[in-house]
Amino acid sequence: MSHLADEPVEDAPATRIPVATDRLVCSGVSVAFAGVRALDQVNFSVNRGEVVGLIGPNGAGKTTLLNVLTGFTGVVTGSVHLDGRDITRLAPHRRARLGLERTFQHGRLFSGLTVRENVELGAIAVRVSKRKARSTTARLLAALDLEKVADVPVAQLSHGDQQHVSVARAVAAAPRYLMFDEPAAGLPEGSLTQLGLVIEWAIKESGAGIVLIDHNVDFVLNLSDRVVVLDYGKVLAEGSSDEIRQNVNVVSAYLGEAGVENLAASQAP
Amino acid sequence: MRSKFRLVAELVGPLAAVAIVTVYGSTMSIAQQGNVTNILVTATIVVALYVFTGNSGVMSFGQVSFVAVGAFAAGILTSPTLSRQANMPSLFKFLGTTQISNFDSLLLGAGLGALFALLVGVVLLRLSGLSAGIATFAVLEITYDVLSYWDKIGPGVMPVVLVPVTTTLVMGALGLGVAIAVAFAYQRTRSCRLLRATREDAVAAQGIGISIFQHRLIAFTISGAIAGFAGALFVHELGSISTGQVYIDLTFATLAMLVVGGTGSLWGAVLGGIALGVLETFLSNAENGVAIGSLHVTLPNGLSVVIVGVIMVVVLIFAPRGITGSHEFLERFFSHGPAKTGTGTESESTAKMPDEEPPEVPLSPRPTS
Repeated sequence: MSHLADEPVEDAPATRIPVATDRLVCSGVSVAFAGVRALDQVNFSVNRGEVVGLIGPNGAGKTTLLNVLTGFTGVVTGSVHLDGRDITRLAPHRRARLGLERTFQHGRLFSGLTVRENVELGAIAVRVSKRKARSTTARLLAALDLEKVADVPVAQLSHGDQQHVSVARAVAAAPRYLMFDEPAAGLPEGSLTQLGLVIEWAIKESGAGIVLIDHNVDFVLNLSDRVVVLDYGKVLAEGSSDEIRQNVNVVSAYLGEAGVENLAASQAP
Repeated sequence: MRSKFRLVAELVGPLAAVAIVTVYGSTMSIAQQGNVTNILVTATIVVALYVFTGNSGVMSFGQVSFVAVGAFAAGILTSPTLSRQANMPSLFKFLGTTQISNFDSLLLGAGLGALFALLVGVVLLRLSGLSAGIATFAVLEITYDVLSYWDKIGPGVMPVVLVPVTTTLVMGALGLGVAIAVAFAYQRTRSCRLLRATREDAVAAQGIGISIFQHRLIAFTISGAIAGFAGALFVHELGSISTGQVYIDLTFATLAMLVVGGTGSLWGAVLGGIALGVLETFLSNAENGVAIGSLHVTLPNGLSVVIVGVIMVVVLIFAPRGITGSHEFLERFFSHGPAKTGTGTESESTAKMPDEEPPEVPLSPRPTS
C-alpha cells in the first residue's frame, strides 16, 4: 500500500497515528532552526521488529527527525511517544535508558578507549551489570569478528571497522528501538556490502524497531521493510522499497525533471 | 594478570613518589621539612582538582573555594576559644564555643568541602564549556568576599590564628596518600568510567544513556571533599589562615601543577604537584638568596611565579598532555598498543549537536535491477 502525501500534511490531525505499545511514534512534529522550518508537521512511526528507511535529499530533515526521536533536538510542536509513554520532553540519556539507541554520523566513538571498552560502555551506560556487560561484549565482538582488535584504541581502526564498533556499542544496550544515522557516510563502495551484513545482523540480534538513514538510497531500500521519504521537512512519500523506487515524486525530488524522464523511459515497454 | 599489575602500578607509583619525597625530606632541616610538608599539602589540592577536571575534562577555577571552607572551618573550630573571643567577637555562638579535635577537623573539612561542592555543582554543572569555567571562577570570588567580610562566620580580613600545628611531614604525606587512594578508588567506579566517556565525546555519551550532569556532580562533590580535607591539612600546617592564602595565587599554582603534570592522569597530578612544588620552593628560597656551591645567588622578588608561568606555557605548547602525557604510572609499559590519542581535557566543542548533513554525494535513486 502506497501512501502519497500529496495533500498538505498540515491538514492531517496531529493524532492521526494511534499511540500504541511496541511502537515509537512522533506526531505532528515541527522543528525550526533560525526561523527556517526543518520539519513541518511530520508524522512518523516505527514498530518493534520493523525496519523503516528514511531517505530524502540533503537538508530534507532526516537527521533532524532522528534527533527529535532521540531527544537531541527539541520540537516546536508535536509529540514523541515510546511504547505509549510521552517522551517529548525527556533528555537523550533518559531515552537511551528506555531503550532508544542510536549511532551517529562519523561514529562518534570514545576515541581514546579500546574497542572492548566502547562496546562495554554501551551496556553499562544503560545500567547493565558489569559482569553481564562483559559477557555481552565478548559475544558481540566475536559475532562481528572484532576480537583481534578488542584491546586496540578505536582511533587506530579503519573507518569501516569503527562503524562496526559503533553498531556493536548500540546493540550492547539491547535496545527496543535502534537508529542508524548515515552509517555508510564516507565509506568506500567496497565496504558497503559488509556494513549491510553488520546492520542486518544488528536487526536480528536486537529485534528492535529500526530507523535507517543514509544518503545511499539503494543501501537503505535494500534493508528496509518500509521507506519514508522526506523533502523540505515534510513527508513526501511512504511505501515499500519497490513502491518508492517507482515513485515519480521521489525521483523528481532527487533528480529533477531529467530523472523523471529517465524513469518514464525505463518503465516504457 | 597484566591489567592487575597495571592497576597496582597505578596506585603504587604515586604513593611511592610521596614516600620518596617524605623520606628525603625527613633528612632535611626543620625549616626545610616545613617546605616539603607544604609541597605535599599543595599536591593534595592538585589531586582534588584532578578528580574533577581530569576525569570530566572541564576546567574548574573554583576548587580552592572548597579548600578555603575546609581551612577556615578547621582553623576556627580548633583554635582556642579564648583567642576566638578576642579576635572574632561577632562569631555565631556555636562557632565561638565549639571545640573539636584536629583529627575531627580533617573530617569536618572534607564534609563541608563536599557539601559546598554539591550545592555549587547542582547550580553550575548544568552549564558547559566556557560558561562553566567562568562560573566556577565566580564561586572563588564569592567565597573570598564572604569569608573576608562576614564576621559572623570568621575573622573577616584578619587571619585565624593560634591554630594547632599538627600537619607534620609525616601527616602531610599520610594526607596526600589518603587523597591518592580516594582518587584511585573513585577511578575504579562505574560513575567515573561513564564520566570519562563524556570527556571523550559528550554527545555520544548522552546518546548511549549517560547523564553528564549526574556524573560530573559526583566527581565535583568528591573533589570538594578532598579539597576541604586538604584545606584542613593546610591550616594545621600553617597554624593560621587568611583569605588571601586560599585565593587566586593558590588557584593558579595548583592549576599550573595539574597542567604541567598532565591533566588526564592521577600520576600527572601527583608528579606535577611535587615537581613544580619543589621548583617553586627552590626559586622562592633563591629570592631570599641561596648558596649553590660557593656561589651566592639572589633572584629578584616575584621571579618564581614568572618562571612557573613560563613553564606552564612551554608545557602547554610542547606537551599539551603534560610531562606524564596524561598516562598513569607505567601505563605505557603495560599497554601493548601505541600511546592513546586525544587530549586529556577535551574542550566541549563537541558538545554541540549541529544538524549536520555530509556534503552532497551522487545518488542512485533508480533501481539497479
